[in-house]
Parts: sequence; C-alpha cells; structure tokens
Amino acid sequence: MSELLRTEALTKRFRGLVANDNVDFTLDAGAVRCVIGPNGAGKTTFISMISGHLTPTAGRLWFKGREITALSVARRAKMGIARKFQTPSVFDRLTVDDNLELAALGKPVSASERRASIEEVLEITRLRDVRRVVASALSHGQRQWLEVGMLLANRAELLLLDEPTAGMTAEETSATGELIRMLADSRNLSIIIIEHDINFIRDLKAPVTVLHLGRVLVNGSFEEVAENEQVRNVYLGHE
Amino acid sequence: MSEKTTTASAAMRLPASMRLYSETTVAVVIFVLLAALPLLVSGYSIYILPQYLLYGMLAMSLGILWGFTGILSFGQAAFFALGAYAMGLAAKWGVTGNPAYVGLLASLVVGAGLAAVVGYFLFSVGVRDVYFVLVTLALSIMVEQITVSQSQITGGYNGMFVPRFSLSFGVGPELDLSSDAAIYYVILPVVAAVYFLLRWLLKCPMGKVLVGIRENEDRVISLGFNTSLFKTAAFALSGAIACLAGALYGVHANFVSPSLAGVLFSTEVVVWVAIGGRESLLGALFGAVGVSALSNYLTAVIPEYWQLVVGIIFVVVIVGFKGGLAGAIGRAFGGEARNGGRE
Repeated sequence: MSELLRTEALTKRFRGLVANDNVDFTLDAGAVRCVIGPNGAGKTTFISMISGHLTPTAGRLWFKGREITALSVARRAKMGIARKFQTPSVFDRLTVDDNLELAALGKPVSASERRASIEEVLEITRLRDVRRVVASALSHGQRQWLEVGMLLANRAELLLLDEPTAGMTAEETSATGELIRMLADSRNLSIIIIEHDINFIRDLKAPVTVLHLGRVLVNGSFEEVAENEQVRNVYLGHE
Repeated sequence: MSEKTTTASAAMRLPASMRLYSETTVAVVIFVLLAALPLLVSGYSIYILPQYLLYGMLAMSLGILWGFTGILSFGQAAFFALGAYAMGLAAKWGVTGNPAYVGLLASLVVGAGLAAVVGYFLFSVGVRDVYFVLVTLALSIMVEQITVSQSQITGGYNGMFVPRFSLSFGVGPELDLSSDAAIYYVILPVVAAVYFLLRWLLKCPMGKVLVGIRENEDRVISLGFNTSLFKTAAFALSGAIACLAGALYGVHANFVSPSLAGVLFSTEVVVWVAIGGRESLLGALFGAVGVSALSNYLTAVIPEYWQLVVGIIFVVVIVGFKGGLAGAIGRAFGGEARNGGRE
C-alpha cells in the first residue's frame, strides 16, 4: 500500500497550551485509523490541521506526495481531503438530494457521472427513501450519514470523521462501523476516525493511535493498545 | 433509518419541481398581462409602471445577493445611480456610435467591474455579514458624495439630464423612446429577461453553490469551493443588473441626481425585498412594484403619514411573515417557501 498522508513534527500551540506536540503520523491508501484519547488530548486539533481548518505552529504535512502545509481548506478538499464535523454540518434547509448534488459539484465531473454517484451514495447511506426530505427533518443518525454521503459524493479520498457515531443508537452505530469497513475495503478510501465509543473501536478492528496531552502515546492494534499500561492509566482507566 | 422519522418527513416532502414550475407559470402570466396592459389602459399608469418595474429589477439584484447568497448589501442604489449617470454622460459627451448602446454597455461594465473589484478585495480577506453591510453603506455614501462634488461632470445637486434616446436596430426605422408606450415595451422585456435569466442561473451549478453559501458557507468551503470567488461573481452580477436598471431608469426619468445613490434609497431597496420575500425573485420584483405604487398613492392621499404606513407594513411583514409576502403565499398554497425552508 502506498503512503497517502504523512505529518512530520506537527505542532499546534494556542498561547500557552500545546494542543499537538510533534505529531508524526502516516496513513496508507485504503487504511482506517482510529484516533483516541481523553478529552483535551488534541484529537480534533489534529484533524483540523489535516483538513486545513487550523494552521500548524510548526511541522509539515504531505498528501499524495505533495506538501499541503500552506494550502487552504478548499484546496485540500479539491485534492481529496474531506471532513465530517463533530456536529453534523449539512445544508439544513436543502433536501438530501440537493445536499448530495452540491457536494458532487465540488469536483469537475460530467452531469451524468454526478447523477450516478448521487444514486450510489443514496444506496450506500440508506437515504434513498428520504431523498426529497430537507436535512433538518432527518434523524440525528441520518444527518450523520448524510454528511458522510456528502464526502463520498464529493469524491474524497481521505475521510476525516470526527465522532461519526455521536448520538446514534446502538443499531446505527454498528451499521456505521460496517459502512466504514466497506468504504475502506471495497472503495479503497482512507479514513481517520476520532471516537469515544470503545466498543465501536474494538469492532472496527483497525489500528489505533492514542493521543495524550497532544502527543502520540502509542500506536497499535486495539488489543495492544487496550493492554498498554500507560494507556490504561491515562485513558481506559478513567472510563 | 427509523420508521417514525421516515413517515413524518414524508408529509414534508417537497415537490420541488412542481413549485418551481408554478412560480414560472405565475411569472409568465404576470408578464403577459403586463405586456397586454397598454392595450387596455393609457396615461399615467403606463408612464409610471416601467419606473416601478426598474425598481423591481433593482430589487432582484439585491434578491440574488441577499436572498440566495446570504449577502446583504446597502449599496444597491450606488450601482443604480452609476447606471443612470453612465447614460447621461454617454449623451453629454456625444460618444461615437449610438450613445444609448454605449451607455447601456458602459453601465454593465461599470456595475460588474466596480462590484467585482470591491467584492474581490472584501471577500478574499474574509469580510462577512455586518462588516460587508457597512462597506456597501459606505459605497452608497461615496457615490453620492462624488456625484455632488464632481459637479462639472455630473451637474452636482442640480442633477443631470438624460435624453430618451432613439434605438436603432441596423434595419428598419429607429425606435423613438419618447412615447410612454415605446419605452414601456423596451423596459418590460428587459425586466422579464433578467428575471428568467436569474431563475435559470439558480438552477445551474453556480446557483446551487450560492444557495449553499447562504445555508452553510463553511461546509461549502470544506467541499472544495473557493467561496470568495463565487461571492464575488454574485456581487458582480448583482452590480451589473442594478447598474443596467439604473441606466434604463435614467432614460425613463430623463434625469439623474445624487440622491439616487443615497443611503435612503439603498435602504428602500432592502425594504422592498424584505416585504416581497427575499428568497423569491418574483417576491423581490413585485415587492418593489407594490411598495412603490403604494407609497406613490399614499403620498397623494396622506402626505404626512405615508412613510409611517409603509413602516408599519414593513414591521408587520418582518414580524408576521418570515420569508416576506412570497413566503406567506408559498405556504398558503401548500408548499413551503422557496428552497424548501422556513427560517
């Protein structure tokens, strides 16, 4: 597998607070990675620097072999980095169809290709029955899926999912896990997930990166991480 | 995902194509009726109606910006006045070719150009919301002041004469616009064309991106769009339309003066659009026509209180009908306000 994303000594300081401290991170194409850590560990700061919503104080990033440290959010999105926000960020007053179409318009493809990809996304996200419903009338879980669907319609290659299962029922959470696995396995998408739901992370069977006080504490499989003494102290021990 | 929300939202399903179709039908019927009007009535109504329609065109220029892109401008009058001055100067300077066409072209270039330059510098550094409003307010004041101070060119407070040109079409006789019916039949198709052009634009990808910016600009940026370019384009289009409306207004009124650029008139435009319904072009258009006609009537009947009456209507519509009269009508006929939404 080829390397898709790399960060080198990525650091973000907010006045006195060091939110991210020398984070070195690599992700291959088609790989899934869970980023976990207690509140304030710097998880959202980390993906905000990948998406371009925050500028690093120091350090550099590469995406598909190209340095993106200085690129804007829109430029990175054009290159294929798409972000799902912690609270679903969709177009509330537009229909599901219009939401997806607008997302699809972000990349230069023909109108027929666009329509085809919207149909496909409606299928994957199980939103076909509500395609003409305005986003504000959807359930919380459906809104989360709509936002993921928008990233797909936008032809993203790297999905940054900030707490994708927040507010979901157990059933919806497990369906989300299956969706993420499918996107990585059969569509070769790379996915970085921030999550708090330990069961969800375990079921995902993806490598885990633990952040603590802005630093990478440990990388490894869920089992390795779960048994790590340091991790138990800082994170799992407080569950 | 859950059964309950699916059925609940089925009731909210919006037959979007049907509603668009019906607004287009309403628009076509109104424009056809307006086209037939001079056959039925004559005199003052036919003289004054083109003026109201140009106010309506000015209101649509704000509608596309405020109602569909989410950018409020208090500078529309500045563009309107610049268009009228462009026509006056084209006649005064005796430019080569038909000065009417030169003036109209100049108004489009000036309107789009000024808005593009101002918009680009503001939007690319992230000027938004109320800060943008303040800059457009200043734009109105600046244009008004410049037209006052450059009196050797503009005539200052005395204003400037704008002739009713004759239009030549290459073949056939020239069309003399001095008759009310002639200029009516020039202005009405232009206003209708602008309306349908904007409706078409809103169905294009660009229009969808603009609505997206109105709804959630950060999301649009995160999908890879350079929103400052789209906003600049919307402002340039708005400026061009406002300027063109002003150019025709100058010809129709035979006159332009600095107050046409002023903040007071700019504010009136915002009031028309708010009353008519900012998320409907037809609402903006006939908000302007209706409020100006009513104001005109009231100045004759109750000269001391007409502004109070218009003010009360404004407050009632803002408080009582979100989405203006167009939004209220839309809801009354079963659908929701345009673009499927309540506030």
